[in-house]
Amino acid sequence: MSRIFDDRVVLGSLRFKSAPNTDLLFKIPFIQSSKIITEYDRSESISLSQVFDDERQRSTLFRPTSKFQILFNNSYNGSTNYQPFKNELYYTNAKQAAALTCIDPQNTIWEGFPQYHEFDFIRNDVFESGYTQYDTTYAPPLIHNLFVPKSASTYNWNHFLSYAFENDYNKQLQTLYKVDSNPVVTLSWIVSDGIPFVISNTQMNGMNVVSFICPMKHNVLVGEYIKLSFDYLGQDTFQVDSLGNGSVGSENYIINILNPGFLGFIFNNNQTGTFKRIVNLNNQSETTSKYYIRRHKILTNYDDSLISYAGFEENVFGVNKQYERSSLTPNGRARISTKNGDKSYTLSFNKDIDILGLIDNQKRPVSELFYTTLWIGYFGWTLGEPNQQGGFYRMRQGWEFNIPLHPVTELPSSWWSYANSNSDSGINNSFYNVSPPYGNNNGQPFNFVYNQTLKTGDVIDGSICEWNDFYQQETILNELYHKITFNRYNFNIGMTSSLSLNQFGYFYKPFEGVKIRAFSDSIEQAPPSNDYIVPDHAQFSVNRNVFVWKDIYTYGFIDTNGAGVDFPFLNNKHHPYKNIIFRIIPEGTNYREFTTIIDPIIDDCE
Amino acid sequence: MSNKYKFTIPISTDKYLNIPVEIKWDFYGQDDSIEEFKFGLVDDIIGNPKDYETLRFSHNTYGEYFQTKLQHNFFFYDSTSSNIPTSLISNWVQSYEVAGIPYDDIYFKSRPFKKSFFKIDFYDSKEPSTQKNYFTIILPVTNSEFMEEFIPSINSLNNVKINFPQFNLDYIGYSEGFFIYWLKDFDLFKLKTFYMTAKFFDAKNGVFIKMMTVPQATLPGDRFSFNPSDYFYYQVNLNYIDKTYEIYDVISLNRVGTDTSPINWFEYVNPPA
Repeated sequence: MSRIFDDRVVLGSLRFKSAPNTDLLFKIPFIQSSKIITEYDRSESISLSQVFDDERQRSTLFRPTSKFQILFNNSYNGSTNYQPFKNELYYTNAKQAAALTCIDPQNTIWEGFPQYHEFDFIRNDVFESGYTQYDTTYAPPLIHNLFVPKSASTYNWNHFLSYAFENDYNKQLQTLYKVDSNPVVTLSWIVSDGIPFVISNTQMNGMNVVSFICPMKHNVLVGEYIKLSFDYLGQDTFQVDSLGNGSVGSENYIINILNPGFLGFIFNNNQTGTFKRIVNLNNQSETTSKYYIRRHKILTNYDDSLISYAGFEENVFGVNKQYERSSLTPNGRARISTKNGDKSYTLSFNKDIDILGLIDNQKRPVSELFYTTLWIGYFGWTLGEPNQQGGFYRMRQGWEFNIPLHPVTELPSSWWSYANSNSDSGINNSFYNVSPPYGNNNGQPFNFVYNQTLKTGDVIDGSICEWNDFYQQETILNELYHKITFNRYNFNIGMTSSLSLNQFGYFYKPFEGVKIRAFSDSIEQAPPSNDYIVPDHAQFSVNRNVFVWKDIYTYGFIDTNGAGVDFPFLNNKHHPYKNIIFRIIPEGTNYREFTTIIDPIIDDCE
Repeated sequence: MSNKYKFTIPISTDKYLNIPVEIKWDFYGQDDSIEEFKFGLVDDIIGNPKDYETLRFSHNTYGEYFQTKLQHNFFFYDSTSSNIPTSLISNWVQSYEVAGIPYDDIYFKSRPFKKSFFKIDFYDSKEPSTQKNYFTIILPVTNSEFMEEFIPSINSLNNVKINFPQFNLDYIGYSEGFFIYWLKDFDLFKLKTFYMTAKFFDAKNGVFIKMMTVPQATLPGDRFSFNPSDYFYYQVNLNYIDKTYEIYDVISLNRVGTDTSPINWFEYVNPPA
């Protein structure tokens, strides 16, 4: 109240002579035009750490970096008629070939490995006469590709950033499985069908159980339920009794249900099918897992990436070089050839990633970015199998369960065949050819096929994942791999014509994720009321009539389970970082990595 | 409302009375405004976060084959046979030995040689009185190219390979000094043109030698009297779009640093005392 009381009060008889003395009334309006504010409302202590944290929490900019350590064993010995390739091999039969050259130079086969720089992140063969520089001792001068130093880090591989953008529920998948001495079975399913399995009847702890052996992680817990793709006397949902068969890691791939004496053939050995995980039998609609292929959207162009040597870091396997004597090379020139290298590389980007407004495949704020590596193979040693449309088959993709060889023939799984359209990676290719003065491909020019690069906005397939509304959790069940196979016309590794569409090759994993935000382990819920603030990424549970969601941790906070991120924050940008071991896996080798070794069980006696 | 009103019964028509109601609103969201004001004030006092990240600028391509090699040639003045007023271009020689570093030191890469280097400074202008040095690139002599030389004191029969002051920098091979790392945010300094000059730091004699873009023998008239802005600098243009740079001669404005037109640096000799 701020009215100033400035009226003068005068007794009536004193104002006028004849005026009576009466009561006087004043109407005093309650008008408020200002407000007393307590002192602390206007005082603010500036804390630099608080200001820093405020800026950190507000920033949506990221500049990811990583270090790549390549693990690669050059494994496929082959031969070629194409002179520039022939001159460049790491020879394995040099003495025999040199001796034969004296007798029959036209038909001498020089065998060897493509050199390491054909697979390296940065090619360094800039001065290879007759290969990357003109060799004028030939007429016409011999060359394969004139080396452009600017492209040294993009000839073989391209690097991008991507994020999980959408889900594909309709992907057709297939794998082969063999349980014990049973025949090989082919598992074919649509990804949204769930987890495929092969049945094996056995005993666990003296109880008869039906084991569902899966080619990928099932992510089901004991006590939960599985809904089968078929039923037994009208029942298709069974409670999980136990996991695994006692061997290390098998609990991730084997589910057991009690066998009270199932009749008929439904649960016979080697029966196949699919199942879905159910967390709560009384709320199946909201606790049944969904299965899908995660698709990634590319956030950068190839020339946004910067790749350089990581100082002098080398892997433990060292370099494998040999001296090729001039008398033991097809072109009579001495050189040093390299089979395996040992360099590490750092990857950074010229472009910052702003995640403001980016929504992931579960319609949540983006919480993970992916370093994305793509084989290009510009020098043309790989790809190159002609298709029926007059072009060339595209690079193949598959998942970890496709990597093993056929269990019986020990040849590449039919999944990888160029004839299988389901394994088409969708990565387009281009080609170039050179006139064939130095060898030819049955009178035709050699075609050098390479993958086209990706660009911002392109979408490519990723891992097989499971999402469960109840847990608000996405789990990777099987990682995506690309397969590189040699162009058998340019470099033949001994494949017969019957295997021409399905050669041995190398696998690599194109995606390596780096967490940029973390979701809380606990699930929040709130009724649909204006009294509660519900984040945009909350889902509504019809069954429980509440919104459910997981909170996002602030930057710098790490909970007791280790969830959270605490990357450096500088220049108003977060700098996530990851060490990556990039494996180029020869087909048929042991590819499994056990990242954790389970401690032995210690019982009370110990 | 504080006024008194007298109402009479209407005879024929309705009467209307406008009653002023004085209401003064408290500002809604005052606390939020204070918060906003506080953030603004803190920004004023402490400043907004600025982007001091750097970009890697690489030498722009040239030629038919998209070459990127950046070539520096350094020439030292051979004072044994002439003085500056009578000097010829041929008195500037591309050799460390002329700079006073013996062949033995070069061949065996002794510490006085290994510790010598070229220092390329990048300024915002050519005007010495106002220019600022924003960054520097060091070229270690051990990264310079090799040439064959007959040096009897080392090998009386065959030529030996020793370094000579030519630098071929590229993505592959020697890349130290090839890339320019400069601020990504152009608005911080609003600079995309720099002027570079070079010095040679001689660890053998503990001196530095200033370099210029032409030999003094080519200067008309008094070879000690010239405009330093014209003869001590090359112009470096940064391209923020494709993250490249190009280098130009400040007089002719022709591009240099290429295979056919390398960057040439010549020792500058002071006038006699």
